Amino acid sequence: MVDGEEEDVMTVDGAILRRGLYKGIVTTLELSKVIIPTAVAVTFLDASGGLEILAEWFAPLMGWLGLPGEAAVVLFSGYFINLYAAIGSMTAMNLSMEAMIILAVMLGLCHSMIVELAISKKAGCPVSYILPLRLGMSLFMGVLLGGMLQ
Amino acid sequence: MIDVFWDGLTGGFEGVWILARVVIPLMVVLEVFKANAWLDKANRVIAPPFRKIGLSQDGAFPVVVASVFGLTFGSGVILSNIRENRLSDTEIRISGTFMALCHALIEDTLIFAVLGIPIWILVVPRLALAVLASYAVLWFFSVARPRLS
Repeated sequence: MVDGEEEDVMTVDGAILRRGLYKGIVTTLELSKVIIPTAVAVTFLDASGGLEILAEWFAPLMGWLGLPGEAAVVLFSGYFINLYAAIGSMTAMNLSMEAMIILAVMLGLCHSMIVELAISKKAGCPVSYILPLRLGMSLFMGVLLGGMLQ
Repeated sequence: MIDVFWDGLTGGFEGVWILARVVIPLMVVLEVFKANAWLDKANRVIAPPFRKIGLSQDGAFPVVVASVFGLTFGSGVILSNIRENRLSDTEIRISGTFMALCHALIEDTLIFAVLGIPIWILVVPRLALAVLASYAVLWFFSVARPRLS
């Protein structure tokens, strides 16, 4: 690592750019391992009628958040897996812009819980604190925006 | 059956393409940030307002790293920083609260922005709730708890 202490000389060379490019491509490949299976799974769920059943189940709950029932699948894939899985399932549905805004704000506050709760714990904050904090804020914004945008 | 599979697959690849356009340039930019130690410099400028929510310059650093790099990519720097600087319990709890609600502001914002969602609505609520929650933690640790005990 170069430490640009002296003047404000910006260090950019081929090695740095190549490293960034490489990391970007590796990350994209990692993400595709999540997005593509999620998109395929949700498309199958949709075609088999399973999504409709799930949607009906969750419709009352999602109604509080101003969301259609099937948005529960987007919410769960974001909460448990990550934002890329959530986007993977979003692309397999036809959601309104309002629904996408509500989901994006809710998921911004609370996502990738399996990975990120572990990191927060290592950083000194117990799961019993961070989980209710993030889930609570996410649901609070959902109810708030759901009420406003409906 | 094959049709459904194909639909899902093309949808998935579309999703990957959307994200590749965000992630690849972002990683290049973050590498340039790292190589120039811009975060240390940025921290000196960004740290003062964090004092209002109870974070010293050392305590604000993990928050700045998390905001730019995210919890996962930044975890190495964040954890070693918390360990080395021996932050107080209060600062650990405040920075943890802020980071949990507000991080990866570039990545998380852009991946939704490419779907057409306005950027401000992706950033403002997270930032505002993180500040409010951090302030509540500071109040709890400095006012409420001492009074209880």
